[in-house]
Amino acid sequence: MSDYQLNRVLYEKARAHKMVDSIGPDELADYELTAEERAALAEGDLEALFRLGANPYLIRRVFRHKFAV
Amino acid sequence: MATIVAACMTSHAPNMTATPAAAPEQRKRFLAGLEEMRRRLVAARPDLVVMFVNDHVQNFFYDNLPAYCVGVGDKHWAPRGAAGFLKIPERQVPGASDWGKALLATGLEAGFDLAVSHDLEFWDDVSVPAHFLMPEGTLPIVPVLTNCVAPPLPTPKRSWALGGFVRRFIEGRPAHERIALLATGGISHWIGVPNTGHINPEWDRWVLDTIAEGQGEELAALTWSQIERDGGNGGQEIRNWISVLAAVPGVKGEILTYEPVKEWLTGCGAVWMQL
Repeated sequence: MSDYQLNRVLYEKARAHKMVDSIGPDELADYELTAEERAALAEGDLEALFRLGANPYLIRRVFRHKFAV
Repeated sequence: MATIVAACMTSHAPNMTATPAAAPEQRKRFLAGLEEMRRRLVAARPDLVVMFVNDHVQNFFYDNLPAYCVGVGDKHWAPRGAAGFLKIPERQVPGASDWGKALLATGLEAGFDLAVSHDLEFWDDVSVPAHFLMPEGTLPIVPVLTNCVAPPLPTPKRSWALGGFVRRFIEGRPAHERIALLATGGISHWIGVPNTGHINPEWDRWVLDTIAEGQGEELAALTWSQIERDGGNGGQEIRNWISVLAAVPGVKGEILTYEPVKEWLTGCGAVWMQL
């Protein structure tokens, strides 16, 4: 599966200027995502999101508070 | 033939305004450099400023993502929605619609397949530099956006060619027009990637010294891989600087300030070209 849907989740948060620690299953019903992608979003797992193809700028925008710096 | 009355570049970073209490000494020195740039911009009396910037997956997403885009709106949001985070009041800055449309049409005729947008809202790319350099918000801005954040990216060589085209376009404009060129972005920074926060002052210095010596075309020879290795994914924004350098080829730059600011996650420089 393409990482397009994963990025769409993040993009829509970013467009709404939302910064979150987690994006849970109740928010993801309309997206085609793998179990791994859903887990990475639910946990706010920065490295997993990057590895799965999420755009780094979107990771930073949405999960800003999860970064050490 | 219109006149390029100013050409300059600065880094941008949201934390320049979002976390004003961080790195107070470095912030003071960097902002002193921007204040000097602001003073010189005012003295140059431009009619408008062409801003070479990059979107941050704010306006353009993977459903429709241009390599290059000209903003032709009458006004642009800078910022919108992010005002609370950036600590910059939400505002609209004026555009220069007719000038932007002429740039677009002439570019297409010249073989530059530019995209167009009538409605742009900016993040730190325009909002933060404009907050310091054009606080009154009256100078019209024509944004020229380059994809620096969603690979594959246009080559630095192509950004150099685009800057050369913009110079030729300005040369064809009415003699009374006074045009400023301003690039934002860079220098080295790693953002959103596993080593987020890394800065490479050595590469930053090489970039700045190369510009100071009037050798900006050397930057156009860089590859994506070289920039990614030495300047990080954020260093890819150097494309914006390269376009301005191409518009004033051979001109030497004066480094107004350089601070590798850990708290801003960015090697921050500002350069004034000695026209």
